[in-house]
Amino acid sequence: MFDIRRISSSRWWHKKKSWIFLGIFLFLVFVRISKGSLYKDLFYFISKPFWPGQFQKEVILKSIDQESLIKLNLIKKDNIRLRKILSLQESSNNDSISAAVISRKTGGWWRQILLNKGSKDGVEVGNIVTGPGGLLGRVNNTSLFTASVTLLTSPESKLGVWIDRSQTNGVLVGSGDDLPTLILYSKDADIKVGDFVSSSPASSLLPPNIPIGIVQSIDKTLQSKKTAKILLLAKPNLIDWVQILKENI
Amino acid sequence: MNKFFTNRLSIISFIFIPIIFLWHPNWLGFLGAQPYWPLFWLLPWSMINGSFNGLVFGLFLGLILDSLTLDNFSQIPGLMFCGFLFGRIKINTDILVGHFRYGLICAFGSILCGTLLLSQILFKNFSDSNSLIFISGLKNILAEVFLTGLFAPFICSKILRKFKFSRIKLH
Repeated sequence: MFDIRRISSSRWWHKKKSWIFLGIFLFLVFVRISKGSLYKDLFYFISKPFWPGQFQKEVILKSIDQESLIKLNLIKKDNIRLRKILSLQESSNNDSISAAVISRKTGGWWRQILLNKGSKDGVEVGNIVTGPGGLLGRVNNTSLFTASVTLLTSPESKLGVWIDRSQTNGVLVGSGDDLPTLILYSKDADIKVGDFVSSSPASSLLPPNIPIGIVQSIDKTLQSKKTAKILLLAKPNLIDWVQILKENI
Repeated sequence: MNKFFTNRLSIISFIFIPIIFLWHPNWLGFLGAQPYWPLFWLLPWSMINGSFNGLVFGLFLGLILDSLTLDNFSQIPGLMFCGFLFGRIKINTDILVGHFRYGLICAFGSILCGTLLLSQILFKNFSDSNSLIFISGLKNILAEVFLTGLFAPFICSKILRKFKFSRIKLH
């Protein structure tokens, strides 16, 4: 019989070199199809430290931060001086305690956070808790080592606030979702979307002028009152460290 | 030591419920809500020990959990009612059906507890923006029911088996 079997090594697919070539070819086809995105992205990362604008931008931002800080300090001093002249309450004090959030319930029924400072550290019921952005809530109860804070979003929270632009007083009521409701007891109250809301100087529970939030939407005017949804500046679901203002009003 | 834990498993797990309740892992949440953790313990406990025990431990659980949360709304009525109801349910011999039953029962318990809580909140805030609270409360109930029903088949059947095992060991 005829033996038509050929020597296997003579086939091209048995040669390693052929596969290498095929691999390179496929890679180049991919590069072509992707319009060089692979290379462009690689270049992006390699050249990043040498971008001309990057460092300049950082320097400028740093200078702006410093400038803002200096301005803030000057305004604070002015504010304290003027408040003394007018015999008004202090808007801020340095008697604060830093605390970490050890448990957080920012959704669902209970809107509260648990802090790692308690009565042992001098925290008292009614103390104000602020975080980056502004007011978070008030201390609801304390144990020896912990303090639980009722958040502004809790249905239990009711605080006196005012709109900075029109200086209209109202009540901020938690409605169980992330946006508490501002109730203004006048149907002609001057309120606009984007208005800044802070604690009211008339409030007996809060020190004045603590930033709270921004008016996000205005609801339909009811018979004798206007309601609006407030977007809080301080985000309790993200904040890990807070400040407890020790002095009660 | 191992025997000690096996014999007292139900009590030890009872102690851990408030810790899980406080832990409140965000990654397990849905629309900001969490599964209603106490029901996962209360269902197996009541099924094994009967209505009266369920009622009493519902009260105990409610007392502990109320101490951890805000003052004005109580979880006691819901948990007591659930404990009593769960105690009247017989353990199903079919494992697969049993699994789904746990899910359904816990979801029903969660609706009950949620509704009781919402009614308390609405009653308390009767004068204020009630419709807004009602909508967010409804959202909370639905999210909680979904999560509780989802996790119950896994957790309850496991706990029930452990409780039964520790009970057999005790006798």
